[in-house]
Amino acid sequence: MPTKTHSPATTEELSAILREASALGRTITPTGAGTKLAWGNAITTDDTISLANLSGVREHSWQDLTATVGAGTTWSALQSQLARHHQRVALDPLFPERATVGGILATNDSGLLRMRYGGLRDLVLGMTVVLADGTIARTGGKVVKNVAGYDLPKLLTGSFGTLGIITEATFRLHPLPAHTSTFTARSADIAALADLMQHLVTSAMSLEAMQLRNEPDAFALDIQFAAVPEALDDHEQRLRRLASKLSLEPTTVDIYTTREQLFAIPNATILKLTTLPTKLSALIAGFAQLAAHGITAQAVADPSGIVTVALVAPAAGLATILEDLRARLAPIGGTAVILQRGALPTDIDPWNNPAHPPAALDVMRAIKNEFDSHRLLNPGRFVGGL
Amino acid sequence: MFTPAILDELRAAVDARGLIVDRNQLQTYECDGLTAYRTLPSAVVLPRTTAEVSAVIRICAAHSIPFVARGAGTGLSGGSLPAENSLVICLARMNKVLSVDLENARITVEPGVTNTQVTERVKSAGYFYAPDPSSQTVCTIGGNLAENAGGAHCLKYGFTTTHVLGCEVVLPNGDIRWFGSEHGLVDSPGYDLPGVFIGSEGTLGIATKAVLRITRRPETVQTLLAAFDSATDAAQTVSDIIAAGMLPSAMEMMDRTSIFAAEAAVHAGYPDCDALLLVELDGPTAEVQAQMAQVRSLCSTNKAWEQRLAQTDTERALVWKGRKAAFAAMGRVSPNYIVQDGVIPRTALPAVLTRMKQMSEETGLRIANVFHAGDGNLHPMVLYDAANPGEEDRALILSYDILRMCVDAGGSISGEHGIGREKQCVMSYMHAEPDLATMQRVRRAFDPNNLANPEKLFPTPRLCGERRHGAYIPHPIEAAGIAEVY
Ligand SMILES: Cc1cc2nc3c(=O)[nH]c(=O)nc-3n(C[C@H](O)[C@H](O)[C@H](O)COP(=O)(O)OP(=O)(O)OC[C@H]3O[C@@H](n4cnc5c(N)ncnc54)[C@H](O)[C@@H]3O)c2cc1C
Repeated sequence: MPTKTHSPATTEELSAILREASALGRTITPTGAGTKLAWGNAITTDDTISLANLSGVREHSWQDLTATVGAGTTWSALQSQLARHHQRVALDPLFPERATVGGILATNDSGLLRMRYGGLRDLVLGMTVVLADGTIARTGGKVVKNVAGYDLPKLLTGSFGTLGIITEATFRLHPLPAHTSTFTARSADIAALADLMQHLVTSAMSLEAMQLRNEPDAFALDIQFAAVPEALDDHEQRLRRLASKLSLEPTTVDIYTTREQLFAIPNATILKLTTLPTKLSALIAGFAQLAAHGITAQAVADPSGIVTVALVAPAAGLATILEDLRARLAPIGGTAVILQRGALPTDIDPWNNPAHPPAALDVMRAIKNEFDSHRLLNPGRFVGGL
Repeated sequence: MFTPAILDELRAAVDARGLIVDRNQLQTYECDGLTAYRTLPSAVVLPRTTAEVSAVIRICAAHSIPFVARGAGTGLSGGSLPAENSLVICLARMNKVLSVDLENARITVEPGVTNTQVTERVKSAGYFYAPDPSSQTVCTIGGNLAENAGGAHCLKYGFTTTHVLGCEVVLPNGDIRWFGSEHGLVDSPGYDLPGVFIGSEGTLGIATKAVLRITRRPETVQTLLAAFDSATDAAQTVSDIIAAGMLPSAMEMMDRTSIFAAEAAVHAGYPDCDALLLVELDGPTAEVQAQMAQVRSLCSTNKAWEQRLAQTDTERALVWKGRKAAFAAMGRVSPNYIVQDGVIPRTALPAVLTRMKQMSEETGLRIANVFHAGDGNLHPMVLYDAANPGEEDRALILSYDILRMCVDAGGSISGEHGIGREKQCVMSYMHAEPDLATMQRVRRAFDPNNLANPEKLFPTPRLCGERRHGAYIPHPIEAAGIAEVY
């Protein structure tokens, strides 16, 4: 049978499509807008199912700070609807104009707001999901507090479409901050910025977001506060005292697009690294040093312990850098995942060095086997070939 | 009863001092906080290391012996109630703090460490462990993980699941695995195993280590007590505070019956009113002060006729005293009572309260209410007198009817006490068959032979024919005044 693309408009339609596909043993790639289809192992499947038609905000209970939304809704469409009541899902994922709720959930993407509000797994309350055999399961709930059964929304978030297809999700919301102030501290000495970052994290001030990054001839720390105006004044004074030896000025750029701009660098290889917060600055410093070897490396770190870096270098150099990073991160369980391959050779596993599989991969395989025993949904796409 | 050969194997695994078979000693383990249910386990082991836990579970797996993990036994839904012919694995002796990493705000502990001990360990450095169940001085981190425990302050800080970065788990086949990060990193690729393990009530394996996130203590904490003449006004105030874009660390409500009981019990000096609202703000001083002014004006707009602001630790303790005593105090106004735990969307509060009043009139039974109003978590208490024939049964039916009403209102049958044995039969009211079957897939992936805490959490035909009997009997730690249910 030739390859088909289905675009169901309801959860029930999707269920019927999957029932039929599973009876025929056809493999499936679920997709939203396709912004992150290149993440993970390259696979080809018999059919594609687009969730684009399952879109729209179904419910915004603004007084309950919850909203239910179709998986095909773009992130910015969701946010602009919520903004009517000065609310948001407190998450700043990549490509918000195009990326859909379902794809963002499946890849567990997160940005700077993670430090204060947690990742998607902390923000998703419930999900409707269709399993490979067509079973429609409603998981979690619509209330903030709920301990009635296993937390399946967490399991499905970040499962890369390998366990089921998400059709609808309920999020807990946060108010949009009414007042913010944003500053950038700069120094050629990254240790000074790392100190400042540590002071701020432990300062009990109302920090909204923070990122450490390298610039062509210095390092920069962007700092955003969100609080009532009285507190913002107080915070600025405190920040000025803490940063008295550094250059500090109000930020003029949008700190929420720094990460996305890395993807606009021509031919860039983009990696996502995880490490301990205290080890972030050493990573960024290491990337800055690559310039001396003719390699461009632009890196941005979120204080929760995630670094996104764009590298432009010849293929062989890139492979060595990645191998070296993975080896250095391995002792603390850190990871280096390829988000955009660029010139990196295609035989390099995007998830990890296969010699260091994730802990409990056997448990993950057992779960995959229970949810999708015939391996029809995104087979082999995820880490360890899940 | 286990055969002597099995007991020998267990003894070899945990040492003679780690094995309990004496009937009198076993009685300590026959129930948890849901004291109406009791089953004597066949034996109890008290392992000291992960390797011992693993060895014990391998013995269970080899002989198909069901096992039940137990922390401090403070659970309120029968989670650590022994199964028939089961082995109880009590983690109380695994009670070491393994490492503290202040710079990364992480702490690694064994499962038998109590919730309070975690905070104690990092307090002097200005940190605390945020999830604060009111049983915190006694309950264990292992039990907190299993129940995804929360507390009055989870409105702002989140539940246990938000604060666990990784855990070591002994699987039901005896294998030892790390879920999440052993080193406390976030976001490693892979399924969210900690996410699904936390809140699984001991049905997916036994946690033997946990890496927890600790939180910086806020600069300032202020607590406001406001008195209203109607619950609707108090509920409206809660909605208005949320709508104004504030996120208090706690918002608690009490109705007239529970205020009266609390007064009688601990003389908190509460105003005589129909509804009390307690709002706690924490954060940077400048922000707390500005927001508290706003909260006070919202209270006034909604006709609060008295407001008391507590700013010192002593004043705050007094304000919280009555609230915390509310459950235990119920004994002052009723011979028996059943404590329920349900969740509704915050906006449904006025309608749900009206409906509860009707239900109370229809049944002739009083219902007292205290709630975590900020997140819609209700703790209705059905008051009755077991001496009146048939009244206990009616009270039970009413308490389950209240839970169903929570589901009808778009909520949940448990916000923090879990399902365990108590609510497994109501699970099918909240979740449809395919939803429960999907959870069972997870269960099978971890425990294909159904040995880890069997017959809990999921409805079973065998048990859902029976009905629970019995009133709420205060847990010994509550009776001793060590902890309050709230
Ligand atoms: C007075 C009182 C007040 C309370 N207040 C609150 C409150 O405010 N908020 C709240 O959330 N709860 C509250 N509770 C309920 C209870 O304290 C919590 O559920 C607590 O987390 C249970 O911990 P525990 O160590 O006593 O566990 P136990 O009761 O021994 O066990 C609870 C469950 O955890 C499992 N378990 C225990 N250890 C492990 C382990 N290491 N690995 C895997 N599974 C394990 C058991 O099998 C069981 O299913 C209260 C209870 C009482 C008696």
